[in-house]
Order: sequence, then C-alpha cells, then structure tokens
Amino acid sequence: MKSFLAVFTTATKYCWRDLTSVAVLIAFPIMLILVLGNALAGFISPTYDFEPLPVSASVEAGGNLETFLQSGESSQFMEINFTTRENAEELVQSGEVYVAIIEEDGEVTVIRARNSGMNAMIPISIIDSYKQIGAAMTIAMTSGGDFTELAGLIGAELSVTAAPLGNRVQSAIDYYAVTMLVMILLFTGLNGLELFKKSMFSETGARVLTSPVSKPVLVGGLLAAATVTSYVQGLITFFFTMFVYGVYWGENIPLVLLTLFAVTLFSQAFAIVVLLLCKSPNAAMGVMQALIWVMTFVAGGYVKIDFGAAQEIFRYSPNSLAHTIIFGSAFGGNETRMMNDLALLFIYVAVLFVIAFILGKRRLTK
Amino acid sequence: MILSMTDVIKRYRALTALDHLTLNLQKGEALGLLGPNGAGKTTAIRVLTGLTGADTGEIKLFGKEFSGKNNSDSMAIRKRIGLVPQDLALYETLSARENLEYFGKLYGVHGAELKKRVDAALEVLGLTDVAKKSPKKFSGGMKRRLNIGCAVIHKPELLILDEPTVGIDPQSRNHILDFVSEINKQGTTVLYTSHYMEEVERVCSRVCIMDAGRVIADGSVEEIAKSAIFEESITLEVKDPAPSLPESIKKIQGVVRCEVKNRAVTITSTAGSGNLPRIIEVASPFVILGVSAKRATLEDAFLALTGKSLRDGGEAS
Ligand SMILES: Nc1ncnc2c1ncn2[C@@H]1O[C@H](COP(=O)(O)OP(=O)(O)OP(=O)(O)O)[C@@H](O)[C@H]1O
Ligand SMILES: [Mg+2]
Repeated sequence: MKSFLAVFTTATKYCWRDLTSVAVLIAFPIMLILVLGNALAGFISPTYDFEPLPVSASVEAGGNLETFLQSGESSQFMEINFTTRENAEELVQSGEVYVAIIEEDGEVTVIRARNSGMNAMIPISIIDSYKQIGAAMTIAMTSGGDFTELAGLIGAELSVTAAPLGNRVQSAIDYYAVTMLVMILLFTGLNGLELFKKSMFSETGARVLTSPVSKPVLVGGLLAAATVTSYVQGLITFFFTMFVYGVYWGENIPLVLLTLFAVTLFSQAFAIVVLLLCKSPNAAMGVMQALIWVMTFVAGGYVKIDFGAAQEIFRYSPNSLAHTIIFGSAFGGNETRMMNDLALLFIYVAVLFVIAFILGKRRLTK
Repeated sequence: MILSMTDVIKRYRALTALDHLTLNLQKGEALGLLGPNGAGKTTAIRVLTGLTGADTGEIKLFGKEFSGKNNSDSMAIRKRIGLVPQDLALYETLSARENLEYFGKLYGVHGAELKKRVDAALEVLGLTDVAKKSPKKFSGGMKRRLNIGCAVIHKPELLILDEPTVGIDPQSRNHILDFVSEINKQGTTVLYTSHYMEEVERVCSRVCIMDAGRVIADGSVEEIAKSAIFEESITLEVKDPAPSLPESIKKIQGVVRCEVKNRAVTITSTAGSGNLPRIIEVASPFVILGVSAKRATLEDAFLALTGKSLRDGGEAS
C-alpha cells in the first residue's frame, strides 16, 4: 500500500509539476473546443449554428404526435416537412433530411439518414422524450384524463429539459464542447502511456524495475495517477466551458460527469491493452492515436462520412455512446437507453482491464 | 559470495552480447569491470539485475538463485541491491529531494528515517543547496551525483554502477570516486564499470577486463598489468651518445632492443627485469640529460589483451 501511494503521488506530481505542460494540458483542450468548434461550425455544417434541423415526418393528421411536433419546443430544434410516408423515406434516403419520423398504427419509428452523424441525435432524443411522455399520456387517457391538459404536459415536459438553452443564443459551442471533450478524454490514455514510458521503459524505468516494487503495484499506481490527472484535466475543461462559455451540458450534471469518467477510464484501459500488444510505448502511442481518430470519426458529428450499413455498429463506438448519454441528458432522451449506454461504456472498460490483466500476466510469467 | 554469474549467455539475434560470462564478487570487494564499447558490460548488469533474462547460465545473488521474476525471493534480493544506470535515471520535473525520496520509498524507506537519509545523502553529494531544484537545471556533474544518490538511500549491500562518471568535470568526478570508495570502505560491495583505468585503479581492488561478452583477464590491478605486459621501455636522453653506448647496454641481461635517435636512447627490456639502475650505471660516462621510464599500466595491458583502446578513438599509450 505504501509503495502504491508512493508511485501514485510521485507520478501525479510528475505529471502536474511541469508548468508548461500543465498549461498545454488545460489550455489546449479549451482552445481546441473554441477554435475547432467554431471553425467546423462555419465550414462544415451550418446546422450547428442551431438552425432547426431538417426532418421529414409522416404522422397521423391531428394526432398527438403532430401536435407535439408542431409545438414551439419541437420546431425550435427541427424544421419538419410533413409529408407522405413514401416521400418521408425518400427524403431521408437521399440525405435531404437527417431523420424521418414515421408514425403507423400508433407505432413511432425514426429512420436515420446514413451520413447524418451527430445531427440525427437531437431529433432522435426529442422523439425519445415524446415516446416517454406518450406512454405517460396513454396511461392517463385510459384512466380517463383530460387530453388538453395532457397536451400541455407534453410542452411542459419538453420545456423543462430545453429551458436552459432558451436563456442564451445557442451556438456551435454547445455541440462541440460535448464532442470535443469526449474526444479529448479519449486521447488521455496517452498521459498514461507517457507515464508508463518514463517509469517502465526508460533508464529511469530500469531503476524503478530493479526496485522491490511489484509490477501490479507499479502499474496500478501509474494507472491511478494517469486516470486522476486526465479526469481532472477533463473537469477543468468541462467547468471552463460551462461557466466561462456558458455551454449547456443539460440538467443532470452528475450523469455527465460519470460519463466523462467512464470515457477517461476507457482511454486508460485501452492504452494499456495497446501497450501490451505493441511492446514499445512509442509504437503504442502511434497506434493509440490512430485508433482514437478512427473511433472519433466513425462516431460522426465532426465531418460527414457515409458509412452505409456500418452506421448502426458505429453507434457503439465509445464516443457515440458518450454523445448519446450527454445529448440525451440535455435534450430529454430515452433514459433507459442512456443508462444502457453508460453501462455498456463501463462494460467496455471492464473488458479492456480483463484483457490487460491477462496479457500482463502472460508477459510477467514469460 | 555476494554475486556469481556462471557461464551466462545472452544473445540479441545473431549477436552474442554475453558469451559464457563468468563473474564472481566477494563480500566487501570493489570490482572494476573494464571493457571497450559494446563489450557487454551493460548487458551483464541488465542480466544480473533481472532487467533482461539470460539465455542460459546461472545467476546467484547473496547465495540465492536470482530469476528476476516477480516473486518474494526476487523482491528480497532486489532490496539489497542499488543500481546506478549508465544514463541518467531521474524524474526531471521532480526536485532532487523528491527524486531521492521516491527511490527511497520504492525500497521501503519511509517517514523520519527517509528524511534523515535523504538529508545525509544531499549533504554527502554536495546537493543540499539545490535540493528543491529540479535536475533539469543541474550541471552534468550534479545530475550524475544525484543519479548515484538515488541508488543508495536504501543502503544497499551491493552497489552496481554503470559508468557513473560519463561526461562530467574533474571535481564532480573526484567527488563521485571518493563517495564510492567511502561507501566501499563502510562495507558495501561495489561493481563498477568504466572506460577509465584511473577510476578503476583508484576505486577498485580487483579488475575484470571484458571483451566481446567474456572476461579475458581477472586479478588485481598489478597482476593484470604484469601478466599482460611483456616489455618495458626506458628512454634516456644523452648528450652526444657514442655508438659504443647501445652496444654496452645491449649486453645487460633482459634488454631486448636499444635504439638511438639523436639524443634519445630507447631501451626495451622484458617485463619486471628492473634494469633501470644497471642501464644508468652503464650510461654514467655520458652526460645524462633525462630519464623516463614507463611503467606498465592497465591501459597497456588492455591494449595488449584486446588489441583495442579502451575508449573509441582514445589514445592507447
Ligand atoms: N537491446 C539490445 N538489442 C540488441 N542488441 C543489443 C541490445 N543491447 C545491447 N546490445 C548489443 O550488445 C552488445 C553489448 O552491449 P552493451 O551495452 O552491454 O556494451 P557495453 O560494454 O555496456 O558498452 P558501452 O561501454 O558502450 O556502454 C553491443 O554490441 C550492443 O550493440
Ligand atoms: Mg554500457
């Protein structure tokens, strides 16, 4: 325990001591969010300036869903083309709209355009929230409730979740703060690799490795230091975007923080597995960076890429999961799905650690 | 026996870095391990500290087989060893004191005892004034001193130093050599690798010369010098040497050659013949302006044994 603490505190100090690197550690992500966020918003997708997202819909005329979609809360986010089912599907297939909302026999489905990336997430979250309210409404109606009051309930429910957004002019930063911070945290595994390199693979590492500290204690201490350092780095960026730039992170901040923590842990675990497979930390850093970029881009939302059928699989990339949870939390997404996605993120982490443990053990006994 | 490596082989692909290396070290000894670049000194140290596995051979430390594995036997052995790696092995963003403390803690020294030992080490190494500074701001010599300090906080019974004085000023070098001698006097067994004869002669009681992964000579400094040198040379500077002078010198027993070049009369005789007084006697009718005798040094022995100079591009004299 004492040597674990020694490794942990020293490695943490080592990370934070260098003033220039601390400045980079904190200033860089913030710069990235500001510069890239605004730049991308301008160049790639003007929809991020929160012009309502184009959506097609085929819904029952005069039904609850239509009322809901026509309400101010919905039209603030979506520009809805009410049309026939065929036309709605055509529009989404051609990519003219991000999603098509189809209602048939009371069943609501959302079809996502192939290259819609993050854009689809907001309409999907909104429809998710409708479905939840819809369920509540059905119960209320069957129990003899008043429809007009319930219609108000829909609006009320939505405006609760969307209210903070109404207080300021929304901009690209609200979106990029989320996606960039998730991406940045995914890269923090590199902090860990840097620590492993110094304490296990360099000449300093030779000295550490010849000391009577067991490898599991050493690895554990370094890992803890990297995780804490990375998460604190993320928190600083998070609170900076929140308080200085007024970025809207939704109402459920603990959930968002937990998600960010899961992403941090994922990155650390991922880094260890890559390191164990690559043998040299420099190679691992290269591979890690390449893989994180891939994960980031398949998650969508940064640039539009058409992945075809693979889109559904890419929803399970760690970035995508984190986006779903955080945007879902901000825009009233489906709670069950958010919880499932969060659980899935932690399962990823657990699986990676198990793999790391097995690989590490094999390495030690070799 | 504190350390024994027997018949150790270590290959890196086609290259045999250690070729049936056998090396022993008694308690309290200071052994100098000399060898040219690439002789396998660092590899020997890596193998015997468990950083790299040997292909074959036996390694015993403190009388126990040492596998370098992550078990309690190995840990107990590791506790008794201090390693000063060839390159600087420090955390640059931590202060000198924090570096010393960290390595102390890794070896299980904590609390008040740790503070006491760190203070003492800073004092002995002359780093007290810069204890709070990071080694980034240190001179080469200060870094080297700290590099050694980090290996001795836990008071190892065996201290292994891999070229601890590379690239530093003479003062720091003296400081380090005195430090190592002192630690050895207090009972620490020392394994010291170097390119520098003078250092080994000063610090070590015994010398092993390594080349191409094996030990090619082992003994005291004098023994090695004697065994390896077959000839000694004496040069007289004589005013107007007559041709008869070399003739008479050549008659002295043990003299192999005598050459005259202007005023310089160079006499080569077999090692250990002790001919200097007789030569001077024979030359006494002449005006002797100067005498220079070159004692056999380890450097010569090294050259004779390996055909190589100790340092790349260094003068073999
Ligand atoms: N990890 C490695 N992979 C391949 N070859 C290696 C490795 N480490 C050392 N060698 C080779 O083994 C030989 C012995 O190297 P070693 O570093 O032990 O020499 P040395 O005596 O310490 O030299 P120096 O005086 O330059 O430090 C060299 O030829 C070197 O190139
Ligand atoms: Mg070496």
